[in-house]
Amino acid sequence: MRYGMAIDLKRCVGCYGCQLSCKAEKGSPPGVFFARVIKREMGTFPNTQVIFLPLLCFHCAAAPCVEVCPTGASQYREGGVVAIDYDACVGCRACMQACPYGARYFNRDNRAYFADQCLTPYEMVRYSEQHQGVVMKCDFCMDRVNAGKDPACVANCPAKARTFGDLEDPASEVSRLIRERGGAPLEPELGTQPSVYYLPI
Amino acid sequence: MSTAADRWIPSTCSICYGMCSIVGHVQNGVLVKIEGNPESAVGRGRLCGKGVSGIMTLYDPHRVNVPLRRTNPVKGIDADPGWKEISWEEALDEIVERLHKVRQDDPRKLFIQRTTTNTSIRAPFAVFAAAFGTPNSWAAGGGLHCGNGPHLVGGIFHASWSLVPDFEHCRYAIYFGASKGHGAGHVACTNIQDAADARARGMRLVVVDPMCNFASAKATEWVPIRPGTDAALALAMVNIIINELGVWDSDYLAQCTNAPYLIGPDGLYLRDSTTQAPLVWDEQRQGALPYDDPGVGALALEGEYNVGGLRCRPAFALLREHVRQFTPKWAAQITTIPEAAIRRLAHEFAAEAMIGSTIVLEGKRLPYRPVAAIFFRGVGGHKNSVYNCFAVELLNQVVGAADVVGGALGFNPVCYGHPETGKPWYEPRPGPDGLMVTGIWPAPHLPYPIPDPKSPETMGFTDLFPLAMFSPFMASRDQEEVWNHFDLPYRPEIMINCGANSLMSVGNSDTVAETLKRIPFIVAFELHLTEFSAFADIILPDTSYLESFDSRPNMPFIFNHPAGTGMWSWPIKQPIVEPTGQRRLAAEVLLEIADRLGIREEVNACYNTYFKLQSDWRLALNTRYTYQEICDRELKCNFGPERGLDWFREHGVITWPKRVEEVYWRPFVKVRVPIYWEFLAHLNKIAKPIAQSHGLNWDDAYYEPLPRWLPCPSHEISHSDYDLYGFYYRDTLHTNSFTMENPWLDEAARMDPFSYTIAINGATGRAKGLREGQAVWLESVTGRRVRGRIHLTETVHPECVGVGGCAGHWAATLPVARGKGVFFNQLLEIDWDHASPVNLNMDTCVKLRIVP
Repeated sequence: MRYGMAIDLKRCVGCYGCQLSCKAEKGSPPGVFFARVIKREMGTFPNTQVIFLPLLCFHCAAAPCVEVCPTGASQYREGGVVAIDYDACVGCRACMQACPYGARYFNRDNRAYFADQCLTPYEMVRYSEQHQGVVMKCDFCMDRVNAGKDPACVANCPAKARTFGDLEDPASEVSRLIRERGGAPLEPELGTQPSVYYLPI
Repeated sequence: MSTAADRWIPSTCSICYGMCSIVGHVQNGVLVKIEGNPESAVGRGRLCGKGVSGIMTLYDPHRVNVPLRRTNPVKGIDADPGWKEISWEEALDEIVERLHKVRQDDPRKLFIQRTTTNTSIRAPFAVFAAAFGTPNSWAAGGGLHCGNGPHLVGGIFHASWSLVPDFEHCRYAIYFGASKGHGAGHVACTNIQDAADARARGMRLVVVDPMCNFASAKATEWVPIRPGTDAALALAMVNIIINELGVWDSDYLAQCTNAPYLIGPDGLYLRDSTTQAPLVWDEQRQGALPYDDPGVGALALEGEYNVGGLRCRPAFALLREHVRQFTPKWAAQITTIPEAAIRRLAHEFAAEAMIGSTIVLEGKRLPYRPVAAIFFRGVGGHKNSVYNCFAVELLNQVVGAADVVGGALGFNPVCYGHPETGKPWYEPRPGPDGLMVTGIWPAPHLPYPIPDPKSPETMGFTDLFPLAMFSPFMASRDQEEVWNHFDLPYRPEIMINCGANSLMSVGNSDTVAETLKRIPFIVAFELHLTEFSAFADIILPDTSYLESFDSRPNMPFIFNHPAGTGMWSWPIKQPIVEPTGQRRLAAEVLLEIADRLGIREEVNACYNTYFKLQSDWRLALNTRYTYQEICDRELKCNFGPERGLDWFREHGVITWPKRVEEVYWRPFVKVRVPIYWEFLAHLNKIAKPIAQSHGLNWDDAYYEPLPRWLPCPSHEISHSDYDLYGFYYRDTLHTNSFTMENPWLDEAARMDPFSYTIAINGATGRAKGLREGQAVWLESVTGRRVRGRIHLTETVHPECVGVGGCAGHWAATLPVARGKGVFFNQLLEIDWDHASPVNLNMDTCVKLRIVP
């Protein structure tokens, strides 16, 4: 079993639904994005092409963040999920330096979204789940997955651009899509062996 | 598992007018998550970035929590109102006293303004306005920038507010200034899914747009165009299709449009001397017959005939002749689109239409025209919006691709109701001259039949311009001057505003500020103190959509219910959390005000009409109802006594399957639509002398029966310093000016290269010596200026700058929004010269220069 995701760039419309539904799922503080979207343009007018590129932790099989972590907080879990033991993380941020994809964020102190105010009732509830002074990142929504649901960004994507499943099961939808559509990870030459694949436009 | 302390509550998003169905997760009274409601067709369980972010609007510590009264009588953009907290009792006492005086004097002195964002307030405010007796109400801004063109033409041709390609079957769609299925707007979330399915299936999408951002980024082909010239492209395409390629759907045109109606030398229908019905030429009988004669046979679309000594030709023959002047070469000069590309697009559209083909769905053989020409805000936001939209629509009409399988579909013009009750039930019907009347419509008057223009008695002059739904005169520079010329017998004395920030949403704030200062008393239901609030006398703390009731968030279905096959869904909106502070639901407050004013009977009667309440469910005129009780009655009236508000609060939504004859209704409903707008001559004949005798410049060119391209003010500015066309577009991350204060959305928008910047073509910008990130002024010919930062990009037409959304707030009470993005509307003139003389649409495109 190896959990993985296929993101269909043909379906994605760059609506930021993944970035914000992740925020809503995780209640993450300002500046922390387990999922995000970048826009890239290619070519010159009028032969312009715009790419919406959704990003998240790629849950690499050879994860530089796990290798570099001095405390063992960054670790491989069941299904190849790269997760952080927040109790063990000392916030040294070496993993942020090591991750070539910028998928990790340091949460210094659970800041309020309304900078001049105290925490909202929502933040008071959700931040009680958050560790401070640690590095945070996507965990493929393992709580949801263990409860039989898709990760939040997959379940919510208005374009149905995301498919989650077992990369080692050739019959899974995610495996079929990667195979049939010629899906590929980002920058495979880095040798990190990501679990997130992009299906071409 | 749902417990009292941990519940999922079904309701409706209102962070935009798409109104998708949601469920809210509440733990110990705190909303901790919003998700889409998978039980509903409206969103199908998936939400956009805005929808999941509503929590941050709900819990914004800067929300208004108590009624406020201004203490500083001086009103102005920079004037501090000196807010003082008052009680609801004090607030309502003063409001009712003033309203009472005005109503006794002249009820038309009440001016009602609302936002377009939250459609739940449409019914309560429409009912209150009607009961009070004022015709003066509008949706500030949004409606004026888009509504008058696309919705009018959508209504006349599709009996619907808007249209989409039949995503399920369309093979070739061409969008003109539209983003259906790629972000914002009516039915945003469901359309995103359906458009992605269509893309995966292989539907080709051509997007004609000055900017390659949302739909254009996902298109098979982006066709950059000079803003406001879409009619030129569309007319050249129609010309090529019907004159060069000789392609048209004669069965559709003869049976479903007024193409066969005979037009006399005066440009008007030839009419039957007895019934006054327009005549058609029957090719079998070789004679003229009324169009509705039961014996009428093959109708001529071409040729020239002599009827009663008058030479006449079918409307379609006139269309063919009319469009010959619109050559690809001519269109290329106007649009900047190469002639060869125009020819190719026309050829592709005509070929892909597969005229004559049919398809069997659910055992019924139906016309199959898998092409669609879709127009929306980009085409509509201009002085020439009517012809722009009309011209694009003609592409659908000539090939018969309207409301048939694969074609351009109106959003749900036909509904035969829930199988158990047959409600809601509506369908288009033939009106005067056999032309289509919509079965349902959200605005005060129908697109057709069109009432005769008359000397204006409304603030906006929509009685003189009956094609207009919204009017710039509600907040224009020349408002007082125009009212004087026309001897408008009253002036607005009280404004009730709900949620609209008209200081930013209409046009330049200086002009709007002057109009607001002249209104002696302004009451505003607000979530926040906005730039508009600074002109209010009393602020009433409104409930947000997550604290509100609405029995009909997606009614009428022609507004924001998904088109195409699938399910009907009628959801409700209910409070996911109880309102905190002293916030109250505006609809409930209006009921109390009405009661205190002594207009309970009028209000109840208007609710009976507006909600079509029947038999046991009609409101007794002299009984005081709560808004929840009225909602309950509407639901029971439509879905039976066992399905009232309580049932809906538990279940959230009722769904039932759509029928094929609802979705692809065209072959089943005998109505015609006008490819020849004969009625404009009649309107012109009446409106022109009234307008001219009161000093309005007039232009007959806007009242011709067949569309042409007319230049907007921005096209006619020859001053070489002002060398760029500026426009704004709807950002996927924001709804109007409202969401700028939401910190999740603001944070995402700050990460986006476009949301808060001025996008300019790289080559154009570099030639001007502009650098990425440079702060500049955009300056209009009239000297209006806004500040913003440059983003050099290959995604914009070289003659243009594109600005996202309605940003650039300056109110200290909106600290998240303040200073973010570009206030493009500040460049817009609001006056007769920048309004369409046929539908009053405002011109939202500005010729400007960049000043470092």
